[in-house]
Amino acid sequence: MAEDGLYLEGLTRRYGAVTALADLTFAVPPAQVVGFLGPNGAGKTTTMRAIFGLVELEAGDVAWRGRPIDAAARRRFGYMPEERGLYPTMQVREQLEYFARLHGLGPLAARERAVRWLERLGIADRADTKLEALSHGNQQRAQLCAALVHDPELLVLDEPLTGLDPGGIDEISEVLSERARAGVSVLLSSHQLDLVEDLCESVVIIDHGRLVTKGTVRELTTSGAKRLSVRVESVVDPTWARALCGVTVSEVHGDSLRLVLEEGVDSDLVLRAAMAQGRVTEFAFERRRLSEVFREAMA
Amino acid sequence: MKLEHELAILGVIVVAVLARLGLRRRRRARSGTPARGESGRSLGLDVAFARIAALFGDAGLVAAREIKERARGRPFRLGTLAVVVIVALAIGLSTLAHQKRPVVNVALVNVPTRLHAPIVASGAAAGMTVRLTELASDQAAAKALRAGTVAIAVEGADRIVMDKSPRRAASSAADQLANTLSNELGALDAFRAAGLSAAQVAALARAHPVPILSLSKSTNTSAQVASLIGLPLLFFMFIQYNTWTLLGVMEEKSTRVVEVLLAAVRPTALLTGKVLGIGVLALVQAGLIVGVALSVAKATGSSLAQGTTPSFLAAIVIWLLVGYAFYAWVYAAAGSMAERRDQVQAIALPLSIPIAIGYVVGIIAQASDSASLLTKVLAYVPPTAPFAMPALVGLGAVSWWQVLASVLISVACTIGVARLAAVIYRRAILRTGHRVGLREVLSRERIHTA
Repeated sequence: MAEDGLYLEGLTRRYGAVTALADLTFAVPPAQVVGFLGPNGAGKTTTMRAIFGLVELEAGDVAWRGRPIDAAARRRFGYMPEERGLYPTMQVREQLEYFARLHGLGPLAARERAVRWLERLGIADRADTKLEALSHGNQQRAQLCAALVHDPELLVLDEPLTGLDPGGIDEISEVLSERARAGVSVLLSSHQLDLVEDLCESVVIIDHGRLVTKGTVRELTTSGAKRLSVRVESVVDPTWARALCGVTVSEVHGDSLRLVLEEGVDSDLVLRAAMAQGRVTEFAFERRRLSEVFREAMA
Repeated sequence: MKLEHELAILGVIVVAVLARLGLRRRRRARSGTPARGESGRSLGLDVAFARIAALFGDAGLVAAREIKERARGRPFRLGTLAVVVIVALAIGLSTLAHQKRPVVNVALVNVPTRLHAPIVASGAAAGMTVRLTELASDQAAAKALRAGTVAIAVEGADRIVMDKSPRRAASSAADQLANTLSNELGALDAFRAAGLSAAQVAALARAHPVPILSLSKSTNTSAQVASLIGLPLLFFMFIQYNTWTLLGVMEEKSTRVVEVLLAAVRPTALLTGKVLGIGVLALVQAGLIVGVALSVAKATGSSLAQGTTPSFLAAIVIWLLVGYAFYAWVYAAAGSMAERRDQVQAIALPLSIPIAIGYVVGIIAQASDSASLLTKVLAYVPPTAPFAMPALVGLGAVSWWQVLASVLISVACTIGVARLAAVIYRRAILRTGHRVGLREVLSRERIHTA
């Protein structure tokens, strides 16, 4: 069992004939943003609820810093569920103070933190407004404030970037990175894989409640078959690489090709073949995109 | 009349002050500027309130939010104001109407001066004001009687004339006064004929009837009146506040805020806080209404003020608490099974049936001035005891130990109901997408727990 951060071991939960979680094990280390990926119904929300004791597990343990999670530990966690939830007719600042109090802060500290996070996320001018009067994006910011207001040691965020404009995404991504740098463990689920690739150090991919793959974004995107981006100026036949053994053309854009090399294929052979077609202006190894990793994992 | 005017002026002032405060608050809300010294003062009050709430742990914090949010809400403030005004007007105006002294115009024709004062005193003793008009002749008196300018004419010392003969079971003030004057003038004439001195006659005129005692226990009419006001108050409180509890739980589920809350707070603390917070508000509102009712009753001399003993008030408060505690858990559990208002209506209707039965049984017992066997049985059944037992207390039909036994039964049942409600709440509150059935919740398939 990992001594640091969050550790989920052998989580198992079935709803009748449906398997929500099947012996799921992974960790969320401190000072890291971990992307939690999977198709709809893969078991992400059930896993997140299990961290907060909202789901009764048939088997498995959830531990924080090497110890089973109790009520006191949960007070130091921040949670943003997929289905957003705050009081629509309550003023935003008072709402944040309330959640801060429930997480153990005194009244003065609760007010100070609420004001600080409202300022940090750019909605301080709406502090005394009822939540229902805010725009969708600002409601999303307020919801994140509620998860952050007590400065949690673990942040569990279910689809925190959904429905935000690019500015909002950048702002919240920056806050999450900043929290991770401050030592907070962050687990976030999202279907926006490009954003996850930019934001997360590591990724856990599950399907049907089972772990499919996990690792750092660098490991996952650089492992497996090599990818080459090649551009040959004024090439006569853009599909010239199809003749090469062990090479697959994955994309063709004018003079540019994206090639996938099987294990053992020498890239020098590809370069020589390209030079035989014309003047090579681009020849670079490329990492897999996280979306490709995800699709391959789901295949 | 003077008191009526004072009450009306007081009412206008209260409404004007509330309206003024409301306008200022609205203007501040629009402009976004705090009131003078508001931020510092509200912070101090908030902190003090929050610290008190924190003494009760998570449930205290939840209760404090319920109290604060609901007390500042328009439905609570306007509802309380409306009920207080209605109760005050109902008691004040009905008492004043009863207290309004009828005026009877009496014509005097050659009546000795010594009889003027006794005639006026007879009317005053019967609760009416007598206005005397001296006329010159019997014809003038007859004319005035036919014209209706006077109701009674006393001619000489031994004759009373009316336009129509008074009924023995007199219902009008004039008929009552005519009967009384007939007896008293006859008696005074007899006293004089018997040779009594003026002082002796005056002494006899001051005679008071002796009280009549009964061997059977008397019914305290004023206590009945108080009880008849207390039972509707309980009914109103139960329906209003339990509906709040039900809607509050349902709204936390439908807005999904409950998932965020349960990530930090145990379900039992959340549920207890909600029940506690709304219960405190119910008690405050009930206290306000009863306080205003008693103040108005005292100011106007209503029989309610004499009939409302401390023990009766204590009974109302105890049953308000016991009854609310019993029903609040039931309604809270029901609220966790719904996530839309139309589902709430379907759930609330069957829950309100025992409240309605208890209320009707209590009111019938009070109105009929008798405690039926059904009332006596229902006084020990927790869902109906909050109405049936106060009704029996109002009738004087129960001893203290019977009240205590009923309270203990209700408290014991409330503990069981609270435990069951917590189980239902825990299992139903995160099940969304459909109305959760009781069988589904209580089945062995347990999904969500603390």
